[in-house]
Amino acid sequence: MIKVLFFGPVADRVQTHEMQMDFSPGMTLHNVIAHLGIQHPGAFSIVSLIAVNQNQVHDKQMALQDNDEIAFMAKFSGG
Amino acid sequence: MLDPVRIQAEDFSQNEEVEALKASSRRMGGIATFIGCARDFSEGREVSQIGFEAYGSMALAEMNKLRSEAIEKFGLLDARIVHRVTTVQAGDNIVFIAAGAAHRAAAFDACRWMIDELKQRVPIWKKEITPQGDAWVTPHP
Repeated sequence: MIKVLFFGPVADRVQTHEMQMDFSPGMTLHNVIAHLGIQHPGAFSIVSLIAVNQNQVHDKQMALQDNDEIAFMAKFSGG
Repeated sequence: MLDPVRIQAEDFSQNEEVEALKASSRRMGGIATFIGCARDFSEGREVSQIGFEAYGSMALAEMNKLRSEAIEKFGLLDARIVHRVTTVQAGDNIVFIAAGAAHRAAAFDACRWMIDELKQRVPIWKKEITPQGDAWVTPHP
């Protein structure tokens, strides 16, 4: 399984903080973005940072592993 | 002794944080601190509360990294970063940063650098709660 996390304004738009996706060999980050982006275009329009296992990722073709944790995040506004 | 990097709901004590910083080295000659607190007015609207949300594990890891980088980059003797994640009222504390160095210049520079970097790098979001409704804050430079 892939754990998908949403925070702040992105979570508001998806209307959940967490969901699970079935893992399949060869799955990439792009596959997850394409799948969820169609369902939640408003949320993905404000996603500016993506982390896999708590590390920021820029390469959307990154291959995923089973049990990976992906976070979709809007620009940070702490402090 | 409290950890030098923390995310917590409860308020922090500036005195306790500074004492903990000073206890780390007798060579410290300058300490610069920054406290971010909640305003009751933003973008022309009254703000009654501010709510915070964090990607806790990533935020804490990034704050620890930031502290280590600041110590290395500015030659600090020690540094502390505490961020509250809860709902705060106007006037309440939000974030505490402290940089301790042998001399003041490094302390001032490091303190400014850490809060600027925190705002860009640490996955925390704030929502302003106003009489007109709630709104997530767009980052400021």
